[in-house]
Amino acid sequence: MSFEGKYNAKSPAVKRLMREAQELHEATEEYCASPLEDNLFEWHFTVQGPPSTDFEGGVYHGRILLPPEYPMKPPNIILLTPNGRFETNKKICLSISGHHPETWQPSWSIRTALLALIAFMPTPGNGTIGSLDYSKEERQKLAKKSLNWQCDICGKVVDLLSKNTVKKPITVEEQTMLNTIALKADDSPTSDMSYLVNSDTVSENQLRQRGIEPIINETQDRQQPDVIVNQQVETMSSSNDLFWSILIASLVSAIILLVLRRLFLV
Amino acid sequence: MEEKSCKEQLTENTDINQDELILQQQRRIEMEISESIALVGEKESIKSLEREYSEDEIYLSKAKALGQKYSYIRRTRPDGNCFFRAFSYAYLEKLIGNKEEYEKFRELALKSKDSLVALGFPQFTVEDFHDTFMDVIDKVGEDTESSYIELHKLFNEQGCSDYVVVYLRLITSGQLRREADFYQHFIEGERTVSEFCRQEVEPMYKESDHIHIIAMSTALGTGIRVRYMDRGAGTEVTAHDFPEGATPAVHLLYRPGHYDILYP
Repeated sequence: MSFEGKYNAKSPAVKRLMREAQELHEATEEYCASPLEDNLFEWHFTVQGPPSTDFEGGVYHGRILLPPEYPMKPPNIILLTPNGRFETNKKICLSISGHHPETWQPSWSIRTALLALIAFMPTPGNGTIGSLDYSKEERQKLAKKSLNWQCDICGKVVDLLSKNTVKKPITVEEQTMLNTIALKADDSPTSDMSYLVNSDTVSENQLRQRGIEPIINETQDRQQPDVIVNQQVETMSSSNDLFWSILIASLVSAIILLVLRRLFLV
Repeated sequence: MEEKSCKEQLTENTDINQDELILQQQRRIEMEISESIALVGEKESIKSLEREYSEDEIYLSKAKALGQKYSYIRRTRPDGNCFFRAFSYAYLEKLIGNKEEYEKFRELALKSKDSLVALGFPQFTVEDFHDTFMDVIDKVGEDTESSYIELHKLFNEQGCSDYVVVYLRLITSGQLRREADFYQHFIEGERTVSEFCRQEVEPMYKESDHIHIIAMSTALGTGIRVRYMDRGAGTEVTAHDFPEGATPAVHLLYRPGHYDILYP
């Protein structure tokens, strides 16, 4: 990892991410995560399926997208390995849960986000956006299959986790957070995911290939030094996208209205 | 018949979309306005307040009353962090000219990290915020004209400025948690002090109330005078000192939902 000269080392976000990269550098048996070679604001992670759950024995890989405002704004997690709990290639974010409203806090970190993901996997999806409620058998099947899953960038993900390193104990503060946190799909359409909207119909295999291609494209795109600016545009455009989709929806309704009127009045 | 119900449904749908659309747009406009205002602005004559309210009798008379006591105002961005940002800017600005108090504050800031970690805040990230906080304090530590320029520059760099806000939020939260028995009385509803801290103090963009101000001014041992300007009766702009009876080092103007800096 050589980010020197590429990023403004005085920027608190850059300093913070370098520190987190240092802290998470060594893999544990529970998780590992590191930034991409050429982009400090995109990480790949691997987590172990929580023991005594449907995901036991599985190894799940994904991306972490960090907003330019990090750590003021939360990271987004995208799972790449089919798992039966979260849709793949869909942004999920740390969010407010119904009973105990919680919001992202700058003193949380990527480790917090990964712990939250692990803790949240066995909870019921309840049909929320981005959630899957696959049966126990299907999930166990996917957990077995996950051991052969490969990431185009990181290779065979099952080898990434450490088998000897003891996991870092969870602090009291982290436990409080884990008891109250919820993960939710980011429901605003995002530019880098939009072409996957119809992916429900494609087979798992195709999906996997398609999910990996964009990463390669993105890495090429982001080799220019203006990475941070790019991401800012991306974050800002997501609210714009929502605006446009609402506008399009109302226009379509208006057209249908006119057509219906025409059909029934004549 | 069918056509009508269809139509009704469609109009209803469009109405909902319209509402959402308007809300979306409103939020975007608010964000744009907020972002067009500097995090911390330049010093302006207090007369600019009178100009702002030339059409509004109640506020105009209060702006005039304020003009009797204060000479300048410095505006901050209304993003929910304004109390912490306004306070820290005004306080550091004051410390530039006061070596003794500066050293005292620096010492207190230096020690604050360990007590936060002892309270259970994650060491790794607290350290990160604390480092930047100390950096800012050190950079304005030289008693020269350039310190004022440096302070203004640092507070208008989003990253750095927000880090200072985060750290003050942590200090405030630490004070509330340490004296939880006392502060519990000030919290409405069923929430515990630590729930309140996690929901209303530690997250960014959450607005500050009396309880935040009391806790922070107590933790730092700094007096703050807040001038309240609202539609209430009278032409005076009520003053409130935090903690009670303290000599104010910083003066802030409160208008519903927002804090700016005042200079006598």
